[in-house]
Amino acid sequence: MHFSDLGIIALMLGLGFAIFTGVVAVIGAVRSKPLLVSSAQRGVLVVAFFLILASLSLVASFLTHDFGVSYVAQHSNLAMPWYFTTAAFYGGQEGSLLYWALMLSVFSAIFALTARRAPAALVPYIYATLMGIQTFLLIVLSTVSNPFVRLPVAPADGNGLNPLLMDPGMLVHPPMLLMGYMSFSLPFAFAVAAMITGKLDSDWLRSIRRWTLASWTIQTLGLILGMWWAYHVLGWGGYWGWDPVENAALLPWLTATAFLHSTMVQERRGMLKVWNLVLVVTSFVLSIFGTFEVRSGIISSVHSFAYSDIGSYFLAFLVLIIVFSTALFIFRLPKLRPEQEFDSVISREGIFLLNNLLLVGIAFATLWGTIFPLISEAVGKQTMTVGPPFYNAVNGPLFVLLILAMGLGPLLAWRRTSTRALWRNLGVPAIAAAACAAILPLAGIRDIWANVGFAVCSFTAGAILYELWRGMRVRHSHGESYPVALYMLINRYRQRYGGYLVHLGLVLLAVGVIGSHFFQVQQDATLKSGQAMNIAGYRLLYFGNYEETYPGTDTVKSIMQIYQDGQLKGYIYPGRTFYQNFGNQPASLISISTFGLTDVYVFLADWNGSSQATIRVFINPLTSLVWYGGVLMLIGGVICWWPARRKQSVVDSVSPVAALATPAAKRGQTVSKVQDQSNGKTGVPAKRRKAVTAASPASSPSPGSSRPSSAGRVSNGHDDEEVVV
Amino acid sequence: MQPALTVPITENTDENKLVRRRKRFPLSFILGGIAILAAVIYLISANTQANAVYYMTVNELRSCTTCTAQSVRVAGTVQAGSVVRDDQKQLITFAIADGGGQALPVTYTGVVPDIFRPGIQVVVEGHYSGHGPFQAQTLLAKCPSKFQSATPTP
Repeated sequence: MHFSDLGIIALMLGLGFAIFTGVVAVIGAVRSKPLLVSSAQRGVLVVAFFLILASLSLVASFLTHDFGVSYVAQHSNLAMPWYFTTAAFYGGQEGSLLYWALMLSVFSAIFALTARRAPAALVPYIYATLMGIQTFLLIVLSTVSNPFVRLPVAPADGNGLNPLLMDPGMLVHPPMLLMGYMSFSLPFAFAVAAMITGKLDSDWLRSIRRWTLASWTIQTLGLILGMWWAYHVLGWGGYWGWDPVENAALLPWLTATAFLHSTMVQERRGMLKVWNLVLVVTSFVLSIFGTFEVRSGIISSVHSFAYSDIGSYFLAFLVLIIVFSTALFIFRLPKLRPEQEFDSVISREGIFLLNNLLLVGIAFATLWGTIFPLISEAVGKQTMTVGPPFYNAVNGPLFVLLILAMGLGPLLAWRRTSTRALWRNLGVPAIAAAACAAILPLAGIRDIWANVGFAVCSFTAGAILYELWRGMRVRHSHGESYPVALYMLINRYRQRYGGYLVHLGLVLLAVGVIGSHFFQVQQDATLKSGQAMNIAGYRLLYFGNYEETYPGTDTVKSIMQIYQDGQLKGYIYPGRTFYQNFGNQPASLISISTFGLTDVYVFLADWNGSSQATIRVFINPLTSLVWYGGVLMLIGGVICWWPARRKQSVVDSVSPVAALATPAAKRGQTVSKVQDQSNGKTGVPAKRRKAVTAASPASSPSPGSSRPSSAGRVSNGHDDEEVVV
Repeated sequence: MQPALTVPITENTDENKLVRRRKRFPLSFILGGIAILAAVIYLISANTQANAVYYMTVNELRSCTTCTAQSVRVAGTVQAGSVVRDDQKQLITFAIADGGGQALPVTYTGVVPDIFRPGIQVVVEGHYSGHGPFQAQTLLAKCPSKFQSATPTP
């Protein structure tokens, strides 16, 4: 018996239990049988167990170098260190699908274990949806894309992992991105459950938003790691190339971002319910579409993929999801009435709508560019493509508008903002933008679009920092030192200040993108020993090449000194490593030296003997900000997501207990258990709640908006009346 | 501040269909939304026209009569034994072909992707005058993705 046999058995049992669990959950919900629902809960855990077992079997096959397994023979060899051998688990199509199914089952299990916190009526339908997706994956895994298929004769050694993937980035980037794709399943399951039951109350909203925040943060991490990996490995001096594969990863991120913003409108004003459901479903559909697109080969990408039958499976699944969700929408539409009406464009919800339109516009433009070859072929019988200039020209201005909206948002109140208050709040950010617009041209930056971009970024950064400063000052006046005040602000109002950190991170990232897009300098040079090249104040002095030989690889490196303004800063060694198993395919060893915020990016293009090298040098100003901004976005995302303490969750759970009670009455034991608990949670003394609401009459009617707090003016942390009125 | 004008229900959004009786979008929202959408559509259509290039195979390029005037992308497999490098000028010439058709000679100056070698799929973008070699401005090698190794199964 091989580990692969164990793997196949585990997959089969997992498939059986996934189908069983889905069916049992639906029956339990329809017939109101709590026992069946808790049986489904255990079923979810069992499926997770079998998928963990299957994955461990594959890892064991890799680590024991069982080249009788076709997948292992294709993606590993004896020379690979153990960590790359383990990572080869998700290095190919079959394994990455298994990894996806594994992550889905783990997330489903986490949900099942915390299901007490989710609205009880929804839980069985969420199980069923998750298990439906899982069933699809397991069918694909056990038929067309089975990682455990054995070869008739086991080769002596395997093929090895592609050299481009033998990079530390490989250990973290693909699993994060795949996990990000997969994690959109949970918000989707919440949306489906809500459409089936018709329960779209604020409990639902809170749960779905937390899961979406988790997905968003994981996907952000995956995207940033992908950019970082491309920058450090591919050698073309950039980090984002608008390749269809990158676009596929960006699309669900854009719609999920839009959703995270528009849920706030639903929470506050009870509007945009349909729109929010559309966004959740779209995010999931786009993540499946991304998988379909890159696996099916319908779109020509510089990434080539195995053109297997798997594409048609994903297409069928995609069609199924779209038809199913659309049918549910039509069924549920009459119930999805907005509770309030829009008042004024110059309001918080107005800016959220603008944000949504822009994000969806960017997503549409990106999708359009990605599938343009298909569209043009269908329309004009001739395939045409659009490249990075298209995306830069369309998405660039839209992102600038988006950043402007990010700055305006915090300055506006819900419902409507008086013009006077608006002008007063505009002061600081406007000064920041004006200063930026005045100083940069004097400092020699003449590109008009770059200046517009920088000015908008400083406007938004000014607005956010001024907000933070005002919050800190108020707390400071109550006797807290500034650092403590900052910590308390963020800790107490995580959604809001976590959001500000994300925004600040995006502004930094945008500054980095503008800098490296508009001011990149590129120069090629062929140098002989002792020759030097000068570029943008830097000087590279070339000495010679040397070779290193290890089993399986040969490496050539050039030795150079790098000078900044005549001062020696150190040695750099750009080079190439050749992998013998891959027909001597080279992988670049790129030298990136960072001076302040500027990267000197040196790529060894060619060499001759030991005394001549051809290098391509990029000077990438401000690129470091892309990474700093990315890290800040992640920190902000985690802060937003971080569970609130019990006491605070009182305020977040906007829904009165009544919303939960009606269906709960019909539903028997399990539900009433949950209800008890949430009763405990929402146990704010009614008197106090009323008092607080009365104290801020201008705020929206949802009780969650007003939060009792000790710190005077900041008390409206969630709400911005004090800022504007 | 604009007066919150109301308009009769329009049919074009989901929201309006739902709430025929009570829900009204203020005119300012509708105008703002239309302005943004128009801007997005304008950006997309203008830039599509400006940036679209033909994407074709070698055989399609040969039979194309209008392709000499513009930049095109051509995909093909690098032919064995056709690669000639001139290191001094960083010039490389090679031939690409698809399916068994006649090969197309290509010249390219610049950095060659790591994985470039005979037998792999490449995409070249540049101008073709109808005779002589294809002048490539960019050379993209289809890079092996995370999902598949570069060499075929043994």
